[in-house]
Amino acid sequence: MSASETSSGGGTVEYIQHHLTNLCGGQCDPETHVGTGFWALHMDTVFFSVVIAVLIVTVSMRLGKRLTPGVPGGFQNFVESIIDFVSTQVKDTFPGHNPLIAPLALTIFVWVWLMNFMDLIPVDLLPQIAHWFGIEHLKVVPTTDLSTTFAMSLTVFALIVYYNIKVKGVVGYLKVFLFHPFGKFLVPVNIVMTLIEELAKPLSLGLRLFGNLFAGELVFLLIALIGGTLAVGLGALFWLPLQVILDLGWLIFHLLIITLQAFIFMVLTIVYLGMAHVEEEH
Amino acid sequence: MANIPAEKLVFIGVGTMLTSMIISGFLLGYFTDMWLDTRPFFMLVFGCLGMIGGFLKVYRLLSRAS
Repeated sequence: MSASETSSGGGTVEYIQHHLTNLCGGQCDPETHVGTGFWALHMDTVFFSVVIAVLIVTVSMRLGKRLTPGVPGGFQNFVESIIDFVSTQVKDTFPGHNPLIAPLALTIFVWVWLMNFMDLIPVDLLPQIAHWFGIEHLKVVPTTDLSTTFAMSLTVFALIVYYNIKVKGVVGYLKVFLFHPFGKFLVPVNIVMTLIEELAKPLSLGLRLFGNLFAGELVFLLIALIGGTLAVGLGALFWLPLQVILDLGWLIFHLLIITLQAFIFMVLTIVYLGMAHVEEEH
Repeated sequence: MANIPAEKLVFIGVGTMLTSMIISGFLLGYFTDMWLDTRPFFMLVFGCLGMIGGFLKVYRLLSRAS
């Protein structure tokens, strides 16, 4: 564990900061590894999210070729239950008919869940392996990066605007802005209010996922520090059981959190897109 | 989770809905101020509007459900 290498108290802060720094590529500050311009890419975030996406595509393609009718095998059964679960949610929540929604919801659910799942891999394992290959910074969980969560929530936002215009027409959509919360007498306030409301949708989607996963990652780091910095010599024997128990406890609890967050992201996407498909109610 | 009626699931988002309404109000005001060079007027006004709107939205959502 890299925390034990520095025995002073300052190592703790360093350890946490080191783990929360992305591998920045492009226009980056060489000291702090924070982006300084528009073309600053978080290489680790891009890498892991693409790897997971490729994994989903390959596994589904392999499974798609070997589908068996009748009684399905173990893995096919598992995947079918996920698809069934998502499609029930879409049927319950989504008012209109749109063939894009169910695949979108399924993709979001599986992709976000798998990206969240990276949090359950021991915090020092992948950065340590990367360290051997000469990569100094590595943040393995793509959803603890605001870039990922906002990329997804802004995509959803673009879809919301697109379907609003497609279903209600440009005039119908503008009418929502003009007369929405307070009727026709407070038009300027209505515009601002609806604008705020629409902006709040992608903001809350992105921030919720980021906040929950970032906090979870931080707790894992703090638990890893128990055995790392506090223990010097024989003290490690005393602190090790505590770390194992806490880690196991948080891991089980976190398994719930990552599922819930992936689920919420999916449901809210369906709900927001459903709202875009409904004609003006009043 | 499959047994919970779908519209009830929106409540999970109520907390962040309120905060993000306030944040987006401030953000909108901030950019309007930058555009019109009137800082901090619109930031405060839109921030307040976002807060009122957030409360109203949450209140409506909760009262419709009960």
